[in-house]
Amino acid sequence: MSVHAPQPVVVTGLGAVSSIGIGVQAFRQGLREGRCGAKPIEAFDVSGFEYANGCEVTDFDPEQLLERLPVHEFGRASRFAAAAARMAVRDGGFTTEALRAAPGLVAVGTTDGESRDLDHLALVQVTEGPEHMRPEVARRVSAGRLSLAAARELRLENVEAVSVPTACAAGNYAIGYGLDALQAGDVDFALCGGADALCRKTFAGFYRLGTIAPERCQPFDAERRGILTGEGAGMLLLERLDAALARGAHIYAEVLGYGLNCDADHPVAPNEQSIARCMSLALADAEVRPSQIDLISAHGTGTKANDVTEVAAIRQVFGSCPPRTISVKSMLGHSMGAASALASVACALAIDEGFIPPTINHVTTDPACPIDCVPNQSVPAELNIVLNNALAFGGNNAVVVLARHRNGHRAGHVPSPVPFV
Amino acid sequence: MRAARSTATAVPSQFDGAPVSRACLVPDFEPREVLGRKGTRSMDRATALAITAVGALLEQLPGAHAAASEEMALVLGTSTGSVASIMSFTRDSLTGNKPFFVEPGRFPNTVMNCAAGHSAIWHRLRGPNVTLAAGRSTGLMALNYARRLQCRGRARAVVCGAVEEFSSERAWLDWHLASPSHGERLLGEGGERLLGEDDDRLLGKDDERLLGEGCAVVMLEPPHPGANPPLAELMAVQTGMFADAEHAGELLVRCLERAMGTTGISSHDVWAVAPCDAPEPLGEQERAALAEVFLGDVPLSLSAGRLLGDTSAASVAFQLAALLAAAGDAPDANGRYALLTSTDADGVVGCALVRLAGGDPA
Repeated sequence: MSVHAPQPVVVTGLGAVSSIGIGVQAFRQGLREGRCGAKPIEAFDVSGFEYANGCEVTDFDPEQLLERLPVHEFGRASRFAAAAARMAVRDGGFTTEALRAAPGLVAVGTTDGESRDLDHLALVQVTEGPEHMRPEVARRVSAGRLSLAAARELRLENVEAVSVPTACAAGNYAIGYGLDALQAGDVDFALCGGADALCRKTFAGFYRLGTIAPERCQPFDAERRGILTGEGAGMLLLERLDAALARGAHIYAEVLGYGLNCDADHPVAPNEQSIARCMSLALADAEVRPSQIDLISAHGTGTKANDVTEVAAIRQVFGSCPPRTISVKSMLGHSMGAASALASVACALAIDEGFIPPTINHVTTDPACPIDCVPNQSVPAELNIVLNNALAFGGNNAVVVLARHRNGHRAGHVPSPVPFV
Repeated sequence: MRAARSTATAVPSQFDGAPVSRACLVPDFEPREVLGRKGTRSMDRATALAITAVGALLEQLPGAHAAASEEMALVLGTSTGSVASIMSFTRDSLTGNKPFFVEPGRFPNTVMNCAAGHSAIWHRLRGPNVTLAAGRSTGLMALNYARRLQCRGRARAVVCGAVEEFSSERAWLDWHLASPSHGERLLGEGGERLLGEDDDRLLGKDDERLLGEGCAVVMLEPPHPGANPPLAELMAVQTGMFADAEHAGELLVRCLERAMGTTGISSHDVWAVAPCDAPEPLGEQERAALAEVFLGDVPLSLSAGRLLGDTSAASVAFQLAALLAAAGDAPDANGRYALLTSTDADGVVGCALVRLAGGDPA
């Protein structure tokens, strides 16, 4: 930690586009109910695959959810990002005039960017020839456009608008970046999160690797078969505590800190030591001890490899009695760049309302994954400090620490130096 | 750069089906020849360019690398990763006997952080590993991200830059972006393609508007004993977003004024500017903004684009490299300031301000 005491940064608005609900209310309800977003994929032609379930967002109406964005100039992931950003701002009680007046950061994480459009362009390329690609689709594919869409929807000019394509850890990267920019005093607000849209490319790739589950996603289960690809967007509105208190904003949670590291080992397989180190970095940055963590929101994809490796890393850091450890991917599928953003939204809601979203589709805990995954039913719980993991291809790991914040006081925080393991 | 020699060359046949006959390619860059045959069978061009550039940078470090790899960070910019990899993987799915007849070894190439992740594996960089995208202005974002990592103590040494590969797919996307009527002009009545030798002239392209490629990276670290002499100090980065291209210039002026204002310098202190020279009308907006800020007396203006072509997301990184190279040859630059500017058609404009320090980037 740096020598000066940085201003606390809090979450004052949330936006969610997901297969279990669009909008914070529906999303929260879905989490509490343990709703499953899995259904047969309609987004692309699935003939030839033996099975093709996914967690698709089938009721997204851009006309209803977007006010300013010229929808046809932006791809699906950008529209998701813009809609979630609009929701977060509205939820946070900010007027767009107030936002426009202040310097801000808009950071949107993603894995695939506009790969749905690239799917389409590839199809045109093979069926008609590349000269027949539609220019308006070609214009949409630059990954930077996801953050631009959010900024444009809100008519923001005085913003640093950047996309963070760090695969399945991207949402946490964006949130951490917001924390740093706010604590540096460079910006007065940060809209941070992640977005992705279902695409054939990603489904085919994971299918070929044997990591797509035939029916449902079952993290930590003995019979788990892999992921379900998903889509959506999660966006969080962050600001410094003094500003939030001054305008009487509702505070969901505080972003206590985060850790970033890289396995530098294998392009796709997770590395236990490196994951453990990333969690330790996050705890040290947040100045909390492992024993103070009440809940871990795991990366928890539901693949054989991830779950066993991640739980082993958790037990390395937290000992033989780790905190309850859930995976919201059981409900949302793997929404790629949106995953850790939606999980962060879920953690913020869990902290604010005092409940733990369940790991659904759970039948038997794998003995090789010895944790309490809060199976199938959400439970009430007072959560003071929560860890949210994100572990991506390329060995890109990002772990965020969120904490309860009430009446201007940080719950459960013990600001003493912690030994860094 | 010193010889001011263009890298424009004929597009070799390996870029099958590209709609352009000339591009600015990294000369003789064959990944398996440059990096060897081990671990490169499925490697895409962008990843190979990044690994090579990062390796060349690390070789210049005086022995600090091995000890510091746990904390060495990498921040790399891109447009869309390797669009060639993404589209060819998808084509395999579309044309194969089964939709899952795709090469698993190439799946990581279809994810945009591939170059950064592989560079970390190759060079054992275990600190924060970040990929960013903001169109032509990506390099500004990368510099700012690297600066914040250091301010916040998340990394000491940060390898920072951007990469862009040439490919047939990228060329096609660029071709369609340049003018929506291309398709109409260059297709015959039956929809057959009319491309031929004169295409580039047909499209009104000269060498400056050819697509380029490459990777440029710098090392950002706090001064310490035993370090290489510094080339420059990063003072400020300011960016904004326009809704209308007509306002790009005035937004850039505000960014420039803010960057110079927070640093406490005036236009007289600036030795050189390295603009991105975006395609019109943004190039004109950029020049107008500089003219306004410098009251018509614009200092030395360096252009990497003329020689390197359009390197898209790597533009600012190459602008910085060109600037540092020029400053290394000019003793009067030492202690003075320089600006990188960028205007991107999707909306992001901005600048980075550096103070030149006189080291030689040999």
